[in-house]
Amino acid sequence: MSTTRISAPAHVAGGSLTFMGVLRSEWIKFRSLRSTKLLLLFTFVAMVGVGAFAAWVRGMVVQGIMEFGAAGPPGRELPTTGAPKMTIDQAIAAANQQGLNIYGTPIAGLQLGILVLGALAVLLIASEFGTGMIRSTITAVPKRLPVFFAKAIVLVVVSYILTLVAAFVTFLVSMPILGIYDINMSLDMDGVLRSILLGGVYVAGVALIGLSLGTLLRSAAAGIVVLVALFFLLEIATSLLGLVPGDFWKYVSQYIPSVAGGRMLEIGDKAAFISPLSGGLIFLAWIVVITVPAIVSFKNRDI
Amino acid sequence: MIEATNLAKRYGAVMAVGGVSFTVKPGIVTGFLGPNGAGKSTTMRMIVGLDKPTAGSVTVNGKKYADHRNPLHQVGALLDAKAVHTSRSAYNHLLALAATHNIPTARVNEVIDMTGLAAVAKKKAGGFSLGMGQRLGIASALLGDPQTLILDEPVNGLDPEGVLWVRNLAKHLAGQGKTVFLSSHLMSEMALTADHLIVIGRGQIIADAPIAQILAGTQQAKVRVRTPEVTKLSQLLGNNGVRVECPENETLEVTGLDSRQIAATALENRVLVYELTPLTTSLEDAYFNLTKDAVEYHSQDFSNDASAPATAKEPQR
Repeated sequence: MSTTRISAPAHVAGGSLTFMGVLRSEWIKFRSLRSTKLLLLFTFVAMVGVGAFAAWVRGMVVQGIMEFGAAGPPGRELPTTGAPKMTIDQAIAAANQQGLNIYGTPIAGLQLGILVLGALAVLLIASEFGTGMIRSTITAVPKRLPVFFAKAIVLVVVSYILTLVAAFVTFLVSMPILGIYDINMSLDMDGVLRSILLGGVYVAGVALIGLSLGTLLRSAAAGIVVLVALFFLLEIATSLLGLVPGDFWKYVSQYIPSVAGGRMLEIGDKAAFISPLSGGLIFLAWIVVITVPAIVSFKNRDI
Repeated sequence: MIEATNLAKRYGAVMAVGGVSFTVKPGIVTGFLGPNGAGKSTTMRMIVGLDKPTAGSVTVNGKKYADHRNPLHQVGALLDAKAVHTSRSAYNHLLALAATHNIPTARVNEVIDMTGLAAVAKKKAGGFSLGMGQRLGIASALLGDPQTLILDEPVNGLDPEGVLWVRNLAKHLAGQGKTVFLSSHLMSEMALTADHLIVIGRGQIIADAPIAQILAGTQQAKVRVRTPEVTKLSQLLGNNGVRVECPENETLEVTGLDSRQIAATALENRVLVYELTPLTTSLEDAYFNLTKDAVEYHSQDFSNDASAPATAKEPQR
C-alpha cells in the first residue's frame, strides 16, 4: 500500500453545490447505515402484525356486541341490558362509538411507526452531532439550511411511503380476518381510504418534530425522551385532566399533538370533540412551533 | 488566500481568539503554531464558518467561505479527524460528501487511492485507528481538489511514512500555487514543512514571518565554559552586552561571544578552562522562548533546569 503517491486529479472535480446534490447526499447517508434499513424493515413487519392482530380483536368485539349488546357509554340510546341481537351494521357502529373503529384497522399499528420513525428522525441529526459528522456536513454545505431541508424531505418521503405501504398491506391482510366475522371492509367503506392515505402524513409530521428536537437538543437520548414525552406521556397526563369536572379540561387534552394528530385520521363528529380538520390544523401548528426554532438554531449556533 | 481581519471569538468568559489579523498566501506552506488552547482550532473553525466570529471577519479567496458557490473546491479542511459517522464506511462517507457538489464517483476512488485507504474503504469508519481516521479526514479535504487546504494537526497519529506523506503533499500542493495552512503544536514538524510561520498564543498573534527569520531571531548561540575560576572569568567576559550565567558549579553559559573569543580572553588572563562547548538553541527552545508567556496550561516543573519553559511566569497584563 503505497501512500507516497501524489497525483493531480485525473477527474477534475467539477460541479458546484446544489440543493439536489445535498438531497442526494442525505439520501446516501440515510441508506448507507445498515441499522436504519433493519429498523425500517422491522417497523414494517411489526406495523402489519399489529394491524392484523387489531383486525382480529375488532372482529371479536363486533361479534360480542352483536350477541350480548354494547356496554356503550351512558346516555347512548343503544340498548344496554338484555339486548336483542343487533345487525352487523349496528354492532360496527357501536364498536366505533367505543373507539374501535373498523375503518381505522389499516393504521392500527401507527403508534409503532410514530415511535420508530420519530426516534429515527431524532437520530438522523443527533448522531451527526454525536459523532462529529456534522462538521464534515456543514463544511460541505456552509449555508447549513439546505442540510436541514434535505434531511426533512428524506424523512417525510420515507415515513409517508413506509406507512402508506404498511397500511395498504395491513388492509389486505385484515380483510380476510374481518371476513371471518362477516365484517366487510373495503376501500369504499367510509374512512378506510382516508386512514390509509393520511396515516403516513401523521407519521411524517412526527418525523419532522423528531428531526427538529434532534436539531435543537443535539443529543439522541434527550431528543427521544422529549419525543416520547410529547407523544406518549403527555396523553396519559392530560387524560387525567379529563377527570376534572368541567368541559374545559376535556378540551385541553385534545390540543396535545398525539390526540390532535390522531383525530385528523378519523371521520365524523364526536360529542365534545374537535373536528378532524381542527385536529389536523392543531397538529400542523405543533410542527411549526417546534420546527421554526430548530431551523433558527441550526442556522445560527456554532457547530 | 485566507485573510483574517480583527478576528475574535469569545466563549462565555473565555476569549479564545482575541482579534487577530493575518494573511495566508498561496504558493507556500504556512504553518500555524501555538501551544494547546492557543486558539488555532477556533481560528480554523471560523475560517470555514463552523463557529461565528464574535467580532471581525475572515475571507477565503476574497469571499466569506459560505458565500462561495462551490465551497469544497475553494477549501478542503481537516479540522477534526473524528468528523465521521462511526457506523458508515469510509467510501460512503466520501460519496455523501461528494454528492453535495456533484463530484463524480471516480474522484472518490481517486482520493481513496491517494490516501492509501483502498484496503479499508468499505469498512466502518468507527473501527479506524487514529492514523486511518486522519487519512480519511485528509481524503475528505482533498475531495474537491481545493484551492486552499486547511489542516488542523494533520500528522497527529500518523506513522512515519504518513508524516512524510503529509509533508510532501503540503509542499506539492503549495508548489502548484495553492494555499496551504496547517497547524501544529510541534515546532520541529513546522520547521520541516512550513515556509512561513504564524505563531499564536493566548488568542494573540505572537509572530508572523518567514520561518528562517523566526528561527534566526530566536536562536541565540551560547557557549558553555567550565573553569575553576568562575568569578574571575565572568568578570572578564561580562561586559559590552555579553551575558554570563552560572547555572552550576564551575560552569558558565556565555551569550554574545564565540568559543574563540572566550578562549583568547582566558589565555590572556591565565585562567584555566577545561571545557568550551558551543550550545545551539534547539528549535524547541526557540518555540518556548516565543510562547512561554502565552501558554494557557502550565504544567508543573519536574526538572531543576532553571531555563525550562514550564517555570515561565504568568504574563503581565
